[in-house]
Amino acid sequence: MRFVVLGALWAIVQLAHAQAWPARPVHLVVPYAPGGPVDVSARLLAPKLQQGLGQPVVVENRAGAGGNIGAEFVAKSAPDGHTLVMGAIATHAINPALYPNFPYDPVRDFRHVALIVQVPNVLVVNNDLPVKSVQDLVALAKASPGKLDFASGSTGSTGHLAGELFKQLTGTYMVHIPYKGSAPATADLFAGRVHLMFDNLASALPNIRAGKVRALAVTTAKRSSFVPELATLDETGLKGFDMTTWWGVMAPAKTPQPVVERLAAEVANAIASADVAERLRAMGSEAPSVRTPGDFTAFVERERKVYGELVRRSGAKAD
Amino acid sequence: MGDIFSNLMLGFSVAVTPIHLLYALIGVMLGTLIGVLPGIGPVATIAMLLPITFNLSPVAALIMLAGIYYGAQYGGSTSAILVNLPGESASVVTCLDGYQMARQGRAGPALAICAIGSFFAGCVATLIIATAAPPLAEVALKFGPAEYFSLMVLGLVAATVLAHGSLIKAIAMVLLGLLLGLIGTDVNSGVLRFTFGIPELSDGIGFVVVAMGMFGTAEIITNLELKDKREIFTAKVTHLFPTKDDFKRAWAPVLRGTALGSFLGILPGGGALLSSFGAYTLEKKISRHPEKFGKGAIEGVAAPEAANNAGAQTSFIPMLTLGIPGNAVMALMIGALMIQGIAPGPQVMNEKPQLFWGLIASMWVGNFMLVVLNLPLIGMWIKLLTVPYRYLYPSILVFMAIGVFSLSNNPWDVLVMAVFGIFGYICVKLECEPAPLILGFILGPLMEENLRRAMLLSRGDPMTFLTKPISAGFIVASLILLVIVALPALRKKREEVFVEEPK
Repeated sequence: MRFVVLGALWAIVQLAHAQAWPARPVHLVVPYAPGGPVDVSARLLAPKLQQGLGQPVVVENRAGAGGNIGAEFVAKSAPDGHTLVMGAIATHAINPALYPNFPYDPVRDFRHVALIVQVPNVLVVNNDLPVKSVQDLVALAKASPGKLDFASGSTGSTGHLAGELFKQLTGTYMVHIPYKGSAPATADLFAGRVHLMFDNLASALPNIRAGKVRALAVTTAKRSSFVPELATLDETGLKGFDMTTWWGVMAPAKTPQPVVERLAAEVANAIASADVAERLRAMGSEAPSVRTPGDFTAFVERERKVYGELVRRSGAKAD
Repeated sequence: MGDIFSNLMLGFSVAVTPIHLLYALIGVMLGTLIGVLPGIGPVATIAMLLPITFNLSPVAALIMLAGIYYGAQYGGSTSAILVNLPGESASVVTCLDGYQMARQGRAGPALAICAIGSFFAGCVATLIIATAAPPLAEVALKFGPAEYFSLMVLGLVAATVLAHGSLIKAIAMVLLGLLLGLIGTDVNSGVLRFTFGIPELSDGIGFVVVAMGMFGTAEIITNLELKDKREIFTAKVTHLFPTKDDFKRAWAPVLRGTALGSFLGILPGGGALLSSFGAYTLEKKISRHPEKFGKGAIEGVAAPEAANNAGAQTSFIPMLTLGIPGNAVMALMIGALMIQGIAPGPQVMNEKPQLFWGLIASMWVGNFMLVVLNLPLIGMWIKLLTVPYRYLYPSILVFMAIGVFSLSNNPWDVLVMAVFGIFGYICVKLECEPAPLILGFILGPLMEENLRRAMLLSRGDPMTFLTKPISAGFIVASLILLVIVALPALRKKREEVFVEEPK
């Protein structure tokens, strides 16, 4: 009898819980240090979500281990919709292949709520490099194997992996020069100490417009609406080249379906609102290509496979 | 020249509008506050305030955020002087002589010379940005991996001068700092080093955590030993403001510090870190009384503080002219600009002259506010020292713990700080000084990174360090410095430099 009562009570509590979501402040964990694009977009999103949910939405930075610490924290948090994470291409597609004894499964340990940002990378070269097109660059790389340097923000970053994919598809050899972040890499690209870089479109765009570097192509399958005149690598002969830096809101795996749906709707509202949309565009982001939680999960699964393969072939490893 | 004048006029017309004055004031006050509170740095504060800036105009947002940044530089030196707590890298050096001055009852003059020196440096740096930002940004681009490495070699060789105890111990501490700096992810291969499977270690140990432990916590533990002597601290306070003699000793160091800081601040990636260390080392080298350093020499406070503030301001140059952030705070500013729909980069100066010149003018306004704000506050800060230690120390510890926790919202950092506190206490007992360790800790990873990058770029040819003229210059300077330290004829002088007291 006692168990029945307890059981009924528990059920009521659970029900009340589900209905009352969000019952307390919602934490949106950013697995990176403050100030980066993921952090900025989370802080853009938070006030809008707060309006929609009627509870404070707190952005919490839990940086470390390439984002793994923050993502793991959320994977192991209570699945009640009060702890969310900005999961990104690094934490959910690249790192699982890069780090040994990976602490979580990017697909099974999460509910993928909503994709928010998708930014292309762009192939930029130093102004003094005598190439005007991707074909020129491939020809130069073939004529002088091992002479060209490509910079990236870190080992295992999208910039690095784009370079590795470029090498594979063109059968060329260039030396990877990793930096700590893309800022010092950009400085050396300006100065001509490195020859090229697959930079994030948002950070590269002002330099391209100011003529400090020359852009050759974008890494996405479709042209970017920000630089429609710029060809895609796919068009220029590197068939199937499609890389996008992305991130979005994710929740722990067992988060109830109604919560995920409500959250997805709120996020969709938030990023559709004029001011947020405009600011996300200022970060170089196109409208997300997947719109439902189910599609997002499929997207993450696909990305993880692609990058897992790429990381293995590039030989990058953190152990 | 007339151009600059009209540009500055434009800037001031933007900066002195009431609303922008208000945001500058909010910024510098907030900055001072978080600077004084140990551990809570400008990075965390600016990150938290980013959403608020959405609703401001870009100029107001940038003015406020910039105010927080240099306000924190001012405030950081206050806690360094009063309680030996460096809030950020630059204040580590201020601890050395500033805290000793406080112990001698001269906290007032130390704080005042900080404020005045910083103000002077701020004025000069503002002028430099206004007149020469674009050409200086080009200079910054001349520094590649090889040049950085050689500059840091020079810094490290000079660093041994930082110690006022035994040379061997100083070198040992530098090496230990270098080793601690190796912890974390290897930049080239992405391999984790010395992390023992602890994910928190994969990004290395935070500088703030080490500094808080080695200086703050260790100092508190050490003070607990001195039961009866603790009151001396405040009993000796004689005057609040520097004497004529203080000014006479401090003006030249302020000038030199400003020059050095302005130059090093321009270099993105660690340049600004070197400025206060460099200024201190320089003063100690050329002083006729190097033995006074580390025991409350006002030169040892004035020069690094001026350098630090000048560097903090000139570090805006690569951000404003190239869109390249030199440090974490600048990266945040770029984030703030991007939110506003402004892409930071070479075109900002031409496309948004009001923003560019308004910010520059507001720097001067902000610095002026800081002096006005800080000089009267000195009396209050000194009062803080009269708070009995049984209240003061626990509250400092709590603030430190909160600050360190806020770095990445992880209790791990608090534990690491505690470990470094105990280690720092052991070092105090062994008369090993923390400053060289901190310098090694900061420079080590940067040196390694740049060494290996330079070698990658030169395909393994070490001659790259000698064939590049700037790099070669630094290497030669380091060698000369080494010879000076090693020459027997100069050994007597060296002993004066290094040995604290005859044994």
